[in-house]
Amino acid sequence: MNPETEKTLAFYGRMTANLTHEFKNILAIIQESAGLMEDIMAVAPLSKEKYQERFNNSMTTIKNQLQRGMQLATRFNKFAHAPDHASDELDLGETVEHFCTLTERFARLKHISLEADTREIKLTTNPLLLYMALFYSLDSCLSVLPAKSSISMAASENSGKPVIEIECAGKDAPAAPQFFTKLRESSAWKELEDTAAQLGASLECAENDLRFCLFF
Amino acid sequence: MPGKEKKEESIRILLVDDEQEFVTTLSERLQMRGFDAEPALDGEQAIESLNSRIPDVMVLDLRMPGLDGIEVLRRVKKQHPEIEIIILTGHGSDRDEDQARRLGALDYLQKPVGVDTLVQRIKKAYKYKTDAASMDESLSGEEDQKFMDKNTKKK
Repeated sequence: MNPETEKTLAFYGRMTANLTHEFKNILAIIQESAGLMEDIMAVAPLSKEKYQERFNNSMTTIKNQLQRGMQLATRFNKFAHAPDHASDELDLGETVEHFCTLTERFARLKHISLEADTREIKLTTNPLLLYMALFYSLDSCLSVLPAKSSISMAASENSGKPVIEIECAGKDAPAAPQFFTKLRESSAWKELEDTAAQLGASLECAENDLRFCLFF
Repeated sequence: MPGKEKKEESIRILLVDDEQEFVTTLSERLQMRGFDAEPALDGEQAIESLNSRIPDVMVLDLRMPGLDGIEVLRRVKKQHPEIEIIILTGHGSDRDEDQARRLGALDYLQKPVGVDTLVQRIKKAYKYKTDAASMDESLSGEEDQKFMDKNTKKK
């Protein structure tokens, strides 16, 4: 297997393992909520009113988790189709937003918040490489930032050209020089540089802020 | 079926999972079955709760923010080896299972799991714990006897 294929498979492996974990959590919550409703009916079929609030809460939980599952499944499906075409027109804002939904758990596990700040911007590019560039951007930030930090990913335009801007913040986050020194030392950053080059995008870091951009 | 279990079967359970709705609902269902179940929402909370209440069985997720399940398992087994630990996770790698078992987890279950299956495994873990405790007692009893015999012979 060549190194590029290995890298792509490793990326897909991490993404799918993360998402199947999320799906299992959703199914487990639905199962327990439905089970609790069943338990209530088994224990007190004649005093349902006494448990009405708990019963209704379980029903709301099930509906919310179904919604969460449907959204994840839709976005996961779109992600799974990323390798279908080597070049495709896509909405950069939507892709960034979907990516953040799919990977929010990676940040959550480190007590870091991840937000997408996007608008519709058309771009023709390699969708798989774009997801990989977003992934390595996130992964490099997560390797440097302490708990309680935040990461914002935004799609915007600069002089009519699409841009992805990644901005980090947090009171315990390192200052810009240390942040970028550590960021550049991370293996994810090296992968990001390679992937940006493959996309034909330029990677630029801010001097005084914890912010870097991918210009297309 | 809830309500059929004896209330006096008060096996103390600590459920550790960062999915709040999952862990509180499961805790409630186990309470309805007569267990003394409490939830903890992360590893730090689980370790802290051991200062006030030692469970018989801990049901532990692996992937959690902050202190993860493997680290909780390591610390609990070091400080309280008598607590039996069942891993209940959505993360299904064989390597994780091997590592968890090597660190002393008694059982390893994949989410989602039926409450009846979980109840069976909790009871099995509790029996394992109480059998091990009584074996320890009987072994120390034998040692006491050997000590007595030895000292009696000396006299």
